[in-house]
Amino acid sequence: MESTANVLELRGLVKDFLSVRAVNDVSFDVRRNTVHCLVGENGAGKSTLIKILTGALPRTAGRILLNGREYAPRSTREAKAQGVSTLFQELNVVDQLTVAENLTLGMEDTRFGFLRKTSKIDRMLDILHSLEPSIGPRQRVSTLSVAQKQIVEIAKAVAAEADVLIMDEPTAAISEGEIERLFRIVKGLRHRNVTVIYISHRLDEIFELGDTVTVMRDGRHIATKPVAEVSDRSELIRLMIGKTVFEAYQERSEPPKEIVLSVKSLRNHKLGDLSFDVRRGEIVGFYGLVGAGKTELARALYGADPYRGEVVFRGQRLPPRTDEVIEAGIALVPEERRSQGLFTILTIRGNVPVMNMGKISRHGLIDGARERRAARDAVAELHIATNSTEKEAAKLSGGNQQKVVFSKCLFADADLLLLDEPTRGIDVGAKSEIYGIIRRLSRQGKSILVFSSELTEIVNLCDTIHLLYEGRIRETLRNGPGLDSQHILHVVTGGV
Amino acid sequence: MSATELSSGPYREAALRVAVKNLYIYVVLLLIVAGFSLVRLGEVELFGPGHFLSPDSLINMLRTSAPILTVSSAFTLLMIAGYIDLSVGSAMSLTAVIFALLVREGAPFALAFAAAAALGVGLGALNGFLVMRLRITPVIATLVTLSLYKGSALLIVPSGLSAIKGRPGRPMPAWINDYSRAEVLLGLPWAFYIALLVIAALVVVQRRTLVGRYAAAIGGNRTAAELSGIDPVRWVWGLYVVVGLCAALAGAARASYMSLGDPLSGDGMELDCIIAVLLGGTAFAGGEGSVGKTAVGALIIVCVTTGLMTVIPAFWQTFAKGSVLIGAVALNQLLTRDRPKLA
Amino acid sequence: MTSEAMTARAEMGPSGAFAAKLSNESFLSLFMVGVLLALFAVACVFVPNFYLPRNVINLLTNYWYVIILGIGVTFLLVTGHFDMSVGGNVALTGVVCAWACQAAGTSPNELANGLGLPYGAALALALLCAAGVGAVNAFFIVRLKVPSIIVTLGTMMLSRGLAQVITRGAQRNTSLPDVFGVLGNTFLPGTSLKVAVLIMVLLVAAAFALERSTVAGRITYLIGANAEAARLSGIKVNRHLTALYLLSGLLAGITGILLASEFKAGVSSRASGYEFDALVIALLGGVSISGGFGSVLGMFVGAIILSVVTSAATGLLLSPDWQFTLKGVVTFLAILAQRFALDRRRA
Repeated sequence: MESTANVLELRGLVKDFLSVRAVNDVSFDVRRNTVHCLVGENGAGKSTLIKILTGALPRTAGRILLNGREYAPRSTREAKAQGVSTLFQELNVVDQLTVAENLTLGMEDTRFGFLRKTSKIDRMLDILHSLEPSIGPRQRVSTLSVAQKQIVEIAKAVAAEADVLIMDEPTAAISEGEIERLFRIVKGLRHRNVTVIYISHRLDEIFELGDTVTVMRDGRHIATKPVAEVSDRSELIRLMIGKTVFEAYQERSEPPKEIVLSVKSLRNHKLGDLSFDVRRGEIVGFYGLVGAGKTELARALYGADPYRGEVVFRGQRLPPRTDEVIEAGIALVPEERRSQGLFTILTIRGNVPVMNMGKISRHGLIDGARERRAARDAVAELHIATNSTEKEAAKLSGGNQQKVVFSKCLFADADLLLLDEPTRGIDVGAKSEIYGIIRRLSRQGKSILVFSSELTEIVNLCDTIHLLYEGRIRETLRNGPGLDSQHILHVVTGGV
Repeated sequence: MSATELSSGPYREAALRVAVKNLYIYVVLLLIVAGFSLVRLGEVELFGPGHFLSPDSLINMLRTSAPILTVSSAFTLLMIAGYIDLSVGSAMSLTAVIFALLVREGAPFALAFAAAAALGVGLGALNGFLVMRLRITPVIATLVTLSLYKGSALLIVPSGLSAIKGRPGRPMPAWINDYSRAEVLLGLPWAFYIALLVIAALVVVQRRTLVGRYAAAIGGNRTAAELSGIDPVRWVWGLYVVVGLCAALAGAARASYMSLGDPLSGDGMELDCIIAVLLGGTAFAGGEGSVGKTAVGALIIVCVTTGLMTVIPAFWQTFAKGSVLIGAVALNQLLTRDRPKLA
Repeated sequence: MTSEAMTARAEMGPSGAFAAKLSNESFLSLFMVGVLLALFAVACVFVPNFYLPRNVINLLTNYWYVIILGIGVTFLLVTGHFDMSVGGNVALTGVVCAWACQAAGTSPNELANGLGLPYGAALALALLCAAGVGAVNAFFIVRLKVPSIIVTLGTMMLSRGLAQVITRGAQRNTSLPDVFGVLGNTFLPGTSLKVAVLIMVLLVAAAFALERSTVAGRITYLIGANAEAARLSGIKVNRHLTALYLLSGLLAGITGILLASEFKAGVSSRASGYEFDALVIALLGGVSISGGFGSVLGMFVGAIILSVVTSAATGLLLSPDWQFTLKGVVTFLAILAQRFALDRRRA
């Protein structure tokens, strides 16, 4: 193995998606046997960068050197073979197998196909034991907690002699005590010849765990410094967002209107006792980081997940049933538009009327003319860039796809819209178009709830901002010139 | 975990559930055997002639069970990996026909047997090709091959005849029966012991070899398996070949037992396999299962089929089998519900 | 029209523009019609008298029973589910209908005694049984989420088994009222076509209308395209799937009644293999299991393709044993050809 000081070197890395430059000339070094943290807002380009490192995406330009040699994996499998392992948020363990079986998966020792227990296996089990003695090798993985499964994956990477272990928001789904244990393990990895690239939004973790931190913003590399040289959270935050004041928000001059949505003590296994009100025409933002409970709240309000508590919309108590919620006048733009929001093999015309077929039909018979008109109107109203309503939704760009999802909701005559990450993965131009749509809808008297992990978006749009952390509202702010985004980031990263 | 922790509430409950899950099938088998043993006890003597557990009856049951025991073992591995093969019955028929034909035309046992086995390998390989290479949905792909294999078997048998049997000038040699009927040990024939061998081998394969481990990984979490460097195409294709081979072994056994090659002799074998696998607790989605318990499930089917014949008229058979399948489905649901997490 | 659109139009040329306007479904249906015509032409060359009008009419109508079954199977396949119970269901309803009609308690022969109900009541009872099978399917598949292939194979055995029980393994064809044989043996005035054929045509037309022009039909496709998005759009997916299984059951019931009437008997071995044929014609017609794609019209074309192939085989004096192999080969080739055609189109 090389003994270069840097295990990874990125030089001028660029990644383009059609018209979007997600990673823009990023260069930095990762020193061997350190915990190197990567921070940045959503949309900063972190996830794209990570996907390039893990082999999930090819780069457009630039080079990466791993241990001094060219590194350009064509798949996650290749990356792993070359020494770059990843701990994904969707755990890659086989629940039905035991811990030992998972550890050795793909790396078994065999003679004539028979599995053998060799010293190699013992060594792997020793590694696991040294990381976390309470996990027994013969336990079925399905009985382990998320945190324990993570540790098994870490042990597997260490046993595979990975040079680099990328950890993507590992603490999002585990409890306090388990986080401590995880930190202990991560710090120990430095002594096992593993370099950890650690992505997290929780800034305290950076200070506790990291040797070096790299900040990205808008696809660019902003800074890489030893954590010891970072004075405090505010400096990090400043680097992450670049400015503390936002120009785009325009304060409302009209008097506040009546309350349309009233939520009291909403709770389920992910959310704890949420209460808030929404007024007519108001744009309310829910800002928080991964795991804060945004999607869970949106889904609960929509009736897609069960909950306890009270949700009253225009005087009517809503049950946790999607079809009744839609009928009452609420619509959701889901987080994953391709897999949850759209029917990708259908055309625009096929997608638009889905949430309210009654409007294009009479006595169950579809009126072709009304259907076509609905699609044309949707295209015109939201400026969907297409030459035909007969285009397959799969062929539209991300921004236009999202507009189709919006038009679905508008067609349902929704008076309250739940928008879950409404501009994720959409280029700047389409983003501002969608913001325009949102503002227009609000002026028309519709209430909008925006669930987002992009601070800029929240501050651009929302009149009221609820800060979420671990399933609860930590603070509620009114948008205006006095808005302190540093304070906001402080709260949503767990600060008090 | 300390001893006191291990004996406390949730752990005890979980241990109980595990015990139930492992033992229920033996209980069911015992109950069924006991049930049928009680039938007509007034008329026939316990273990005497005509009784369910008489030596003749037992030997007969075990003799006819050789095919289902063989095929269902391989079928289990395939289902653990999350795949299915509906053509096993037709593959069995086709190999039975070929085996009988070769024997009648003068081939010695070893040659006919080897040829049937080779054919089985080929049939399985074709299934694997359709499912893994051409990526046709397993149900549809194996329904297509079901049709092909059944059709081929029917075409080989000359029209006018119902099976490959002896014809004037070319009788079916009497030794064809030996494999499936001639007593070798404890009154049971070679075919039965070969079936036991296959079961034993596949139990070992499932628990102790790479094949079994990878089948569970592919069925349990295909992404995790791929990330660990496992190529599902190669391994599942191999499983289809094994299923084909076992179907051929079953076909030879059936032809030997019946002294003829009947192109419809394998009909319904796929359903029997599904029932056996369901009773054995293999989950639909894959990832876990047990060759051993499937074998017990297969025995249960044989007992039920044979036993019912003494109790109810023949025309109740299909309904009974359908009920067993639906019952097995319900039972399987109970068994493979998600278990509560411990930690 | 925007300049972008005009350029796109110009690049494609007039026929290109038409082809692009066609949905993938219609394209595939047209493709299979082409295949049908090609097969028909080949058959005409090799099989004497294949092109005669009388034969053509036969080709179009002799699979009427599989086509009716194919309607339910197609809708379910579009949503990604199987229904292999239809064959057994047909047998069961025919047997129940006959049994219900047979005079009560007049004969020492068990098989000649029935429930003595009037024909209308017998029809109702039979259809109730048919729907019952559908309900059992729906319970296990929709409620318990058991894979549909396994459940429907089970209900296939259950329904056929029940038919065998009721007929003691044979059939019920005695002491039936005259009205029993009317439906299946009435010819349309001036033709040699049975009423059943008319019913088939009406049902297919209704199914096509349902598929194209109704909300219910559209929902079927939405569920097949993306069940999760359908749920999040407020569609009651479970209710709809249950309805589809009930529909498939009822269609099997209608077929069973017609066939029992035609042969004036409730036979327990009726419709053996029909579920497989129904699946085959759907696949031949381009219905795909993976996602909201396929049309009953395609299924109808698939039925005629199957009809042409099997009739040509008979005409060439091939024994009926060729049926299985032919069906397998034809289905396989169709799947490959459809995939090829679609891939070329997308490129």
